Amino acid sequence: MKKTLLKPVFLTFVCGAFLFSCTTDNQDNQDNIDNEVFDPNSSLNTVFDGKIFSIPSPVQTAYLIKSLDLPFDGTLLNDDKTVGEYVTDYKQALNLGIYGTDLGYSTLYDQKNVTMRYLSSVEKLTSELGLDAAFDTSFLKRFEENNGEEDSMILLMSDAFRQADNFLKQANRKSTSALILTGGWIESIYIACQLNEKKSNTDIRRRIGEQKQSLNSIIKILQEYNKGGSNDGLIAELEDLEESFDKINMTYEYAAPETSKEEKLTTFHHTLDIEIDDVILNEIKTKIEAIRSNITNA
Amino acid sequence: MKSRPKLKRLDLTSQMPKTMKTLILSTLFILVTGLSISQDCERIVRDCEKLLKENTNGSDFISDGQVYTAFLDREKAQFNTTFFGGTTYRIAASAGSKDNFVIFTIKDPQGNILFSNKNYKNAPYWDFKVIETLPVTIETELDLELKVTGCAVMLIGFQK
Repeated sequence: MKKTLLKPVFLTFVCGAFLFSCTTDNQDNQDNIDNEVFDPNSSLNTVFDGKIFSIPSPVQTAYLIKSLDLPFDGTLLNDDKTVGEYVTDYKQALNLGIYGTDLGYSTLYDQKNVTMRYLSSVEKLTSELGLDAAFDTSFLKRFEENNGEEDSMILLMSDAFRQADNFLKQANRKSTSALILTGGWIESIYIACQLNEKKSNTDIRRRIGEQKQSLNSIIKILQEYNKGGSNDGLIAELEDLEESFDKINMTYEYAAPETSKEEKLTTFHHTLDIEIDDVILNEIKTKIEAIRSNITNA
Repeated sequence: MKSRPKLKRLDLTSQMPKTMKTLILSTLFILVTGLSISQDCERIVRDCEKLLKENTNGSDFISDGQVYTAFLDREKAQFNTTFFGGTTYRIAASAGSKDNFVIFTIKDPQGNILFSNKNYKNAPYWDFKVIETLPVTIETELDLELKVTGCAVMLIGFQK
């Protein structure tokens, strides 16, 4: 009796699990059954290995650049005319990240014409990647209506990218999401390195050094969602870049934070010293240029 | 008048072995459950978006462009990120609107706990003023006294 009941139940779970697993794009991790975090959008038997990845917004570096009163430099942006030459999902996703960062940079500097051109590039790539829901006509209309109100435009743009990220994760297209984040991160470091090359700036040098943790997350996320080894070349380049970042000295000193319950606010009082010399900086700049060039060349 | 031939009702289920019926019904159950989890997560993402806009004193928090989602089952989700100096961040977390189900804890590179909303009735959002840049580890878990399993969503926003 027991046997007849157990058999169909067992078969059911095996079959159900198989049906779900057919929808996932991340087959490399199906062996990691004992891990902590379950992806709600994946199958019951498809577990990703307890890791969530976070890459700080590239817009934050654009805000820093603007706060330093550095003039806008349009020559640093990826040529918007090449947008049509990116035909694979891989190139489209990476360059969407790059154009997204360029869009944020030009928006902050109130470069109306440039902004509209880069909005058009972003729109084209989001359409190619099936992300129209996030960058729909309502978004485009609101973005154009707010032209000149850079804070509102940045808010709208960031919300649209978040919606696209959510859509991709729900649709089990995490590899595409990872590539967009990677492209955005590379472009922000590229712009920072180029501006620092033109005129050395302590804050920008420091910001470049502060990317150590983010680079580590970028490499891990690309390894995690490496469909058919498509990210192998990029990972190798970024691991080489990581060797340069590892030469940066960071000294952290703890200090107790201060919390205001009423304001729901905690202030951190630690210190973090970052030592980055010209040789390391130049190494990072050269490597970033090469990585970006491989992405932006069609 | 010719009478129509009576159509024999085709009852597939009656011809199926019991094992097969159980198999199909259970598979459907799993599919529906999976879909329901996904819909729950979507609803929670929308709840969480509202938390990013609450009590901002006129200066909105800009999303970092990512949605952090995990299906937690008596376990913790953990990730690393960097808080840049000169910025105020908001972390918003939700696992449903009925209660404050999510506990989040921020640790520094030495493993010191810098903040846990557990000490503040699992407050669904909290702001962090960051004077100097800091690589942090964020841990998320469900308050097991309130909920043992479910979708948890976290959003990070910053003020320029």
